[in-house]
Amino acid sequence: MSEERIIRGVMASSGVAIGRAIRSFDSQQISYNFHIPHAATAKEIARFRDSIDKSRKQLERMQSELRQSRIPESSFLVDAHLLILQDKLFVDRIVETIQEKSVNAEWAIQQVSGELFEAYDRLQDDYLRERRGDLEDIVRRLLHNLRAKSTSALPALPYDAILVGKSISPSTLFELRASRVAGLVTETGSPLSHTAIVARSLELPAVMGIHDLSCISSGDLLIVNGARGFVICNPDPSTLREYRQKSRQQRSTQTVAARGVPATTQDGIRISLGTNINFSEEAQAAVDSGTEFIGLYRTEFDFFKEGERPSEDELSAQYARVLKTVRPSPVTFRTIDVGNDWNNRESSGSTLASRGLRFSLENPDVFRLQIRALLRASRSGQMRILLPFVSTIDDLDAALEIINGVKRDLARPKTSTVRDVPIGVMIETPAAAQTCDLMASRVDFFCLGTNDLIQYYLVVDRSDQSVAHLYNPFHPAILRCLHQVYTLLQYSGRPITVCGEMAADPAAAAILLGLGFTSLSVSLAAYPRMKETIGSLDVGKLHELAGEIMKMDSPKAVEDRVRATIS
Amino acid sequence: MTEREVIVGHRLGLHARAAARVVQLSSQYQSMISLSRRDDGKSVEADARSILSILLLAAAHGSALIVRADGADESDAVNSICEYLKG
Repeated sequence: MSEERIIRGVMASSGVAIGRAIRSFDSQQISYNFHIPHAATAKEIARFRDSIDKSRKQLERMQSELRQSRIPESSFLVDAHLLILQDKLFVDRIVETIQEKSVNAEWAIQQVSGELFEAYDRLQDDYLRERRGDLEDIVRRLLHNLRAKSTSALPALPYDAILVGKSISPSTLFELRASRVAGLVTETGSPLSHTAIVARSLELPAVMGIHDLSCISSGDLLIVNGARGFVICNPDPSTLREYRQKSRQQRSTQTVAARGVPATTQDGIRISLGTNINFSEEAQAAVDSGTEFIGLYRTEFDFFKEGERPSEDELSAQYARVLKTVRPSPVTFRTIDVGNDWNNRESSGSTLASRGLRFSLENPDVFRLQIRALLRASRSGQMRILLPFVSTIDDLDAALEIINGVKRDLARPKTSTVRDVPIGVMIETPAAAQTCDLMASRVDFFCLGTNDLIQYYLVVDRSDQSVAHLYNPFHPAILRCLHQVYTLLQYSGRPITVCGEMAADPAAAAILLGLGFTSLSVSLAAYPRMKETIGSLDVGKLHELAGEIMKMDSPKAVEDRVRATIS
Repeated sequence: MTEREVIVGHRLGLHARAAARVVQLSSQYQSMISLSRRDDGKSVEADARSILSILLLAAAHGSALIVRADGADESDAVNSICEYLKG
């Protein structure tokens, strides 16, 4: 038996999966290319059209199922595939190739798609070049449908398979959902890739951006740690036992839906526990899970859903719907944070150049439009507005000035009243962490975005696999930073909610409670687990623990000490 | 024949979803409709009903496109597509 190996990548979808590696997914399709008699071309064309029909039916079924899933927006991924199936540049040229060159359908598909792939590879635009994946996916599907009689374009999989491949397309992943796929490991892809979106909507643990997959063979036992972004290949029996226990706990907490009862620690401290959402449609699921409030609604996904600027009326109606769904609990709307991924697609500048509030101040029309839509919706429930990626007080003042201007404009017709909406700052840059006390007099509340804060504090880009493993919430620098933020704001009277992934990890959350934080917001998937975790913690003991770990010098020692205390 | 120049206003350029929408719009008209890049020099023409050829234009945010239509409803077709591309 081979030795345990830890292979690091980046997190794409949280959760732990244990299963056997299946590597066949990036293998070459086996198909034969040959000439056919000219008289047989009509029949060959009919066979090709048949595979198109079959593929269309599979995709339409997938589209309607995705529309009913937790993230209905993900169905757009299928639209492009369906359009390729009726694209003249593709279909008609394949038909012509069969006819003119007297070749079988498989060969014709490969010739035509080969020319298109070459054209894609010549493009300068990274984002568009990646779109060749859509075409590859269609080609794979057509070749399979030409060969097989079954309705699914994929072979049956063993129970608890973990897919391992250079890349796995969103549609392949979706199609495999019923076949008990347990997890996903890929070389390419990032947390914002389409495959990662589908993995999260199906709640499949996934690790992407693994540098070299050649050390994993089909049949290897794997543990996929989605939240931490690594894979353990051929784990030792002790590691396996530990993880099996963890995943049992995860399952049991998911069935205990302690709804309607607020999260309270063992020693009786009330902790506010909210949820984070990315799409307006998730608000209902959040309410159903018994959430106390929505601590973070990342509005950029809905804002750029159509890839264009939405109308103020539509946006306002959408925000009002979210507020009404969650009423009387509050919803914190984070204004658009155009992150690394968006920038990469169109500008060659630094990925830090225009994030969050910086983007909003450079595009005041977009910012004003969103603020107008928000304020107009504010009467439908309890709204809070959160400004992301604030790094200077000047930027904050400029943003507040714009917000006040919009408020004045809206209040002008005597008929309309604008609610006083609390405005907050997301502390996620080292600069904001150092100066939050100076910001406190200007705003009403704070959120702590630990994901970015850790990245910028430790100078680690989580999407870069060469440094992603250095990302560590237990680093002494992070503990000190959190302690400092808490101390700076302690007497400010400004509430603070922690909404990064630290809040969703039991050990990291224990540290947060030990440092004095009393409000956390986590993903929908983590909500039941964290509610149970909080119930098992003793804040008095954690305060002592916090004092102790503050003196430790290694992240590993901190983590071990905390996990030993809470287990 | 009707033609008009338009600047792509979509933040991500003519990406997958925008290209899909152009195909859907074009399919509502009888006319033959094409898009071409003005700044491209090579002046490649894309069939507005082919998502692959639209994507291959690689029209980024702010690039100039010429929308051309030929047929009974050519001016309506050019209007609606330009309106959409403006973002």
